[in-house]
Amino acid sequence: MNDIYQFVSGPLAWVAFILFIGGSLYRVIAMIAEVKKKEPFIFTYMSLKYSLRSILHWITPFATYNWRRKPVLTVVTFAFHICLFVSPIFLLAHVTLWDESWNIRWWTLPDGSADIMTLIVMASCVFFLVRRLTQREVQFVTFVSDYIILGIVAAPFITGFLAYHQWFGYPILMILHVLAGEVMLVAIPFTRLSHMLFSPFTRAYMGSEFGVIRKSKDY
Amino acid sequence: MKKGMIIIAGILFLSSVMLLSVHSQEDVTEVDRSVFTNPQRPAAVFKHDAHNQNAGIENCNECHHVYEDGKLLEDESSEDQRCADCHGPEADGNKPSLVKAFHVNCKGCHEKQQKAPILCGECHVR
Repeated sequence: MNDIYQFVSGPLAWVAFILFIGGSLYRVIAMIAEVKKKEPFIFTYMSLKYSLRSILHWITPFATYNWRRKPVLTVVTFAFHICLFVSPIFLLAHVTLWDESWNIRWWTLPDGSADIMTLIVMASCVFFLVRRLTQREVQFVTFVSDYIILGIVAAPFITGFLAYHQWFGYPILMILHVLAGEVMLVAIPFTRLSHMLFSPFTRAYMGSEFGVIRKSKDY
Repeated sequence: MKKGMIIIAGILFLSSVMLLSVHSQEDVTEVDRSVFTNPQRPAAVFKHDAHNQNAGIENCNECHHVYEDGKLLEDESSEDQRCADCHGPEADGNKPSLVKAFHVNCKGCHEKQQKAPILCGECHVR
C-alpha cells in the first residue's frame, strides 16, 4: 500500500500540478489571444473601474439583483465556494505535508472547523444535485458532464471526510482521496470548472460593457 | 541489626525504583503529546520496545539523536531527555518544531524502510 500511496502523492501529484498550472495558463492566454484576433474592439472600452465595480458586487452576497432574487441559492453558493477553498488550503494535515516536503507552512484551521466546512461542501453538492434534477430552468442547461463535474468536486471532500474519521478502509480511502484531489485539479482548466479562471474576466468584460457602453449597472 | 534493616530498606527502595523505571519503559505505547497545548490528532501509536524489536534497532541514538551546531554527533545519544527539551512548539533556525521532529524522525525512517506506516491515520489512530 505504501508504494501506491507514494506514487499517487509523488510523481502523480507533480503531473496533476503541472497540468493544473500549465493548463490554466494556457486557457487564459489562449482566451486573450482569441479575443485579440476576433474582437480586438473590446479592448477599447475595457475599464478598470467598471471591472472592479462588477467583480466586487458579484463577490459580495446579496449585492446584486440576482443574488437577492434567489436568497437560498446565494447562501449555499457562497458557503460552498468559501469552504471549498478555505478547508483544503488551510487544513492542518495538508500544511503539514507542504512543510515536510518544501519547508513552508502557513496558518491552519482547527481540525473541528475543517470538518464542519467539509460537511458544508458535501451538503452544498447535494443541494446543487437536487437543484439540477428538479428546477426546469437548470435542467434546460444541464448536460451529463455537469453531473460528472459535480462528482469530481464532491469526491475529494467525501473521501477526505471518511479518511479523516477513519471509519472504514483507511489506507485505500487515503489513496482515493489523493487521486480525487488530483482529478479535480486537472479538471479545473479543461471543464466547466474553468469558471474559476474565467469568472473575473467575464465580470470585467460585462462590467466594462455595461458601465462604458450601456451606461448601466450589471448587478 | 539496625544496619541490616537500613540495607534491606535501601535494597527494597532501589529495586522498587528500578522496577518502576523498567515498567515505565515497557509501558510506552504512544508518543507523549502532553506537551502540546491544543493537540488536533490522537497521540501517535508507538510501542517502544515492540517497535525496536521489530525494526531491529539496537542503538538508542538511532532515534534519540544529539545535534550540535546543526551537525549530528555520531556517538552521543539523548534517551535521558524528552524530545520537547530541545524541540519547541515552533521551528528554531534549522531545528524543526516538535511536531515536525516527530514526523521527520518516524515517517522519514518509515519511508526509507518501505514497510512501516507513512499515512497520517496509521499512527494517529482514532
